[in-house]
Amino acid sequence: MKRLTVQELEAFFKCLESDYDVRVPIALHDGTRSLGKPDEGPLALAGGAVPTKITSVFFPQMQKLLTADADMASTPVEMAAARGKPLFVVGFTAQDADCLEFIDRFFDANYRDDIYFAGRDGSIVVSVSGRCGADGNFLRIAGEKCDIEVISDGDKFIVAAYSDAGRGLVDGIDAGEDAADGALEALQKESDALPTDDLELIQAASRLILADKVPEKFWEDVSDRCIACTSCNLVCPTCTCFEVFDREANGKIERWRMWDSCQLDGFMREASGHNPMGEEAIRTRRRIHHRLAADVTRWGHVTCYLCGRCDDVCPVNIGIKSVCREMVEQYG
Amino acid sequence: MSTAAASKADDRGLVLYRPFMCRVESVRDLTPSEKLFRFVRVDGQPFGHKPGQFMQVSLLGIGEAPISVSSSPTRGDYLEMGVRNAGTLTNAMHELKPGDTVGLRGPFGTFFDTEGMKGRNLLLISGGCGLAPMRAMIQYVEDCRGDFADVTILYGAKSPDDVLYKDELALWQSSDKFDCRLTVDAVPGGACWDTNVGVITKLIPPLAIAPDKTTAIIVGPPIMYRFVIIELHKKGISDENIVVSLERYMKCGVGKCGHCTIEHLYCCIDGPVFTLDQVAGLRGAI
Repeated sequence: MKRLTVQELEAFFKCLESDYDVRVPIALHDGTRSLGKPDEGPLALAGGAVPTKITSVFFPQMQKLLTADADMASTPVEMAAARGKPLFVVGFTAQDADCLEFIDRFFDANYRDDIYFAGRDGSIVVSVSGRCGADGNFLRIAGEKCDIEVISDGDKFIVAAYSDAGRGLVDGIDAGEDAADGALEALQKESDALPTDDLELIQAASRLILADKVPEKFWEDVSDRCIACTSCNLVCPTCTCFEVFDREANGKIERWRMWDSCQLDGFMREASGHNPMGEEAIRTRRRIHHRLAADVTRWGHVTCYLCGRCDDVCPVNIGIKSVCREMVEQYG
Repeated sequence: MSTAAASKADDRGLVLYRPFMCRVESVRDLTPSEKLFRFVRVDGQPFGHKPGQFMQVSLLGIGEAPISVSSSPTRGDYLEMGVRNAGTLTNAMHELKPGDTVGLRGPFGTFFDTEGMKGRNLLLISGGCGLAPMRAMIQYVEDCRGDFADVTILYGAKSPDDVLYKDELALWQSSDKFDCRLTVDAVPGGACWDTNVGVITKLIPPLAIAPDKTTAIIVGPPIMYRFVIIELHKKGISDENIVVSLERYMKCGVGKCGHCTIEHLYCCIDGPVFTLDQVAGLRGAI
C-alpha cells in the first residue's frame, strides 16, 4: 500500500486526466473549497466535506433529458448523450460515500434512471479521511463504499483501493513510499473509536417520529423559523427531487430536469389547485420525516448520513441535526 | 464504489424519459371544459395498459403531465383520455386536432386488480373527473361481464352540465349489465335533470350490499374519499375491500422526482391504485 505526499497525490490525479474527467477539492479565493478540475485551483484535500452537494457531480442541478423538434412527427427525439470520459471524483467523506451509495440504490430501484447512470457508471469515487478534517479533526474512514481512499496519517496519505477499477489505477502509482505495516490498521482503530453522538441523536429522533411522539405544534414552531430559502435541499447529497421543464434553444425543444425543493409551496400543487403540502408546517415536517421515518419504512434505514451541510448553511439554525436535538430535548 | 460492474446498461440507449410518438385519432367534446382524446401509437404497437394506470403526456415545448387512461385495453389498440382544461399542458392539449402528434410515456403505476375481483360484486364510485379513469374499468367490466357478480356504478357531478360521458352513462343506465345511479350536487335554474340531486354519499345508504362479497372502487376529488369511505364502513366493507385511486402531480412517473410521495409511498409506482388498508393512517393520503 502506497503512502504519498499531497504533491505526489496531485500528480497522480493529474496524470489520470487523459482517461478521466477528474474533479478534486480545490481552494477558492475566498478561502472556501469546492470541487473543480485540477488546474482550476490548488488541491485542498484537508478540511472535511466540501460545502456543496457533492453528489451533484452525478446528479447535477440541471440536466438535459432530451432534444427534439417541436413537431415531434418530423424527427425522432434525441436523448441526452452519455458523457465522454468517465468521472474521477476526489473528496467524498465517509458520510458522503454513504450518501452516494444510497442514491445509487435510489436511482436504480424500480425504474433504473439511465440518465443518472450514464454519468455514474464507470466513474471512480475517491474518499478522503484520517487526520485531515476541519481544525485537524479525524475524518471517519469510508472503506469499501468508495473505489479508492486516501487516508491522512497527519503527514502523508495512505492510498487504499477497494474496487477492481480502483486497484487498477492505484497499482500504476510509481511515486511515494510503501506504508508501514499496521499503519492503516492503526488509523482504522482511530476511526472506529470516533464518537457516535450525532448518530445516536438522529436515531433517537427517528424513533420519536415513528412512535408518533412529535406533535404538530413542534413542526409549526420549527416552520415559523423557516424562510424557505431551500438551502437545506440544495446542499443535501441525498436530496433527489427534481422538476421537469421544456425550453427552446437553437431552434430545438429541450427537456431538462432541475433540482426542486420540498420546502416550496408549489412543490406538490396540482393544476386543480389541490396542494397536499400547502402549509409550511407540513413541508417542514416532510423534510425531516422523509429522512427519519418514511425512508425507514421504505428502505429500512434513516437516509440522513449526518454530513452536516444543511446545519452549516441554514440561516435560521433548523438543519436536521439542530431540529433533531430540539426534538429529543423536548420529547425524548 | 464504481457501479460499472453492476451496470444494467440498456443497449437501446437512454430510454427512461423518452416519449414514444402517438397520433391523435379523434377529439370529442365532453363538456365545455373537458375533451376526450383518442390516441394510437405511430409504430402501431399496443399500449399495454390496464384499467387504473396513467400515462405521461408530452407536448414538446409545453411540458409533460400525468393523465389517467380512460379506455379499456379490451376495446382495441388505442388509448383514450378524458382531459379537463385545467393547467398549462391540458390547455395546450385542448388545441390538438386529429392527425396531430404527441408523445407518451407509460403506462405507469398500479391498476385495478381485475383478476382478484373475479366473482365479486363491484361498487364503482366516481365523482367529477374521477369518471375518466373509472370509465376504463367500467368498459373492462362491460367487456368481461361474466367475470364479475353484481356491478353497481355510482357517479356524481357538480351540475348536469358537468356530467361526463353522458351518452355512455345513458347506456350504462339502460343496460342490464349494471345498476347505474347518478346524482348532481345542484341543479341550476333551467337545467334539465330528472334523477338524484345531492352529494354522492346519499346514493350509498339505499344500496343492499353484501360486504364480504363486495369490492368498492373510489375515484374522485380528494374531499370525496373521506365521506364515501365513512358510508362504505357503515355498510361493513373492510379497508382491504375498498380500492382508491390517488392522484398526484407526478413529474417523472417512475419514482424519482419525489413530487407524488405520500409518506413512504410513491404514488406513481406504488399507486395510484391502492387498497385503503395500504394508505389508511398515512398523512395526506385521504
